[in-house]
Amino acid sequence: MLGTQGVLRWLGRRLLQAPGGCSVESQCRLVHTGSQKLQEVAEESNSTELTHARHSADFSILPPMPGQESHLRWGNKKYEDLHIVHIKATYNNTHIQVTTQEGQSMVRTSCGTEGFKNAKKGTPIAAQTAGISAAVKATDQGISFVRVVVKGLGPGRLSAIKGLSMGGLQVVSITDNTPIPHNGCRPRKARRM
Amino acid sequence: MTGTRGDSTLGAAWVDRILSTDGIIDEAKRRRYFEKPCRKRIRENYENCRRIYNSEMARKLAFLTRKSRQDPWLGC
Repeated sequence: MLGTQGVLRWLGRRLLQAPGGCSVESQCRLVHTGSQKLQEVAEESNSTELTHARHSADFSILPPMPGQESHLRWGNKKYEDLHIVHIKATYNNTHIQVTTQEGQSMVRTSCGTEGFKNAKKGTPIAAQTAGISAAVKATDQGISFVRVVVKGLGPGRLSAIKGLSMGGLQVVSITDNTPIPHNGCRPRKARRM
Repeated sequence: MTGTRGDSTLGAAWVDRILSTDGIIDEAKRRRYFEKPCRKRIRENYENCRRIYNSEMARKLAFLTRKSRQDPWLGC
């Protein structure tokens, strides 16, 4: 399970891209369609990309990579010029940060900034609220199309994305960037309950 | 430009499905706490046995569904 990433491409208004956190070869049987070529992911993190093609006759699985020439534009912007929303979904909280393609931060919200305290921060509802507020602030700054990068497996993983689209941002792609160490740091000891 | 709200959840579901078939989600859950080597060996053993059992059972069922048909010699 190393190296190549099978990718789905859905092009259209709603594009979802999801890169993962470790280099794992995805099961291309499920997502591969015919003539699509697989993309080799060089990052230290796993990258699964999904973009949905709705109207184009040539349905391509690959997302528009920086070297490739693609006719797809979202708000007259190329794919690599879109803003990125980083969602860090921990077990106790969810942080949402909207940045430019270079990484400059524009909007930063979390469940805590929305007024939730302690255990309530680690809930999907709090994540949705944070998503909505982040989307509202982003649209105030003029951002409409956005790609999403999700990190971590927490309760707010799905609902934060939902909150973003509820708040008015158009999600172009969902990328999963969950960090999977290849036996790096030793995690804490097992809980005995 | 209208888009349904369900689209992003659909895409997120796709992502989760891909990740779970790749075993990444299980891997991430497992790495949350340290798994001692003795426990890891036991788990790997169990998963191997389970895999063998499931594949053999599926083979058996496939064979039996082929074998079971309407009585060809009805009336004889």
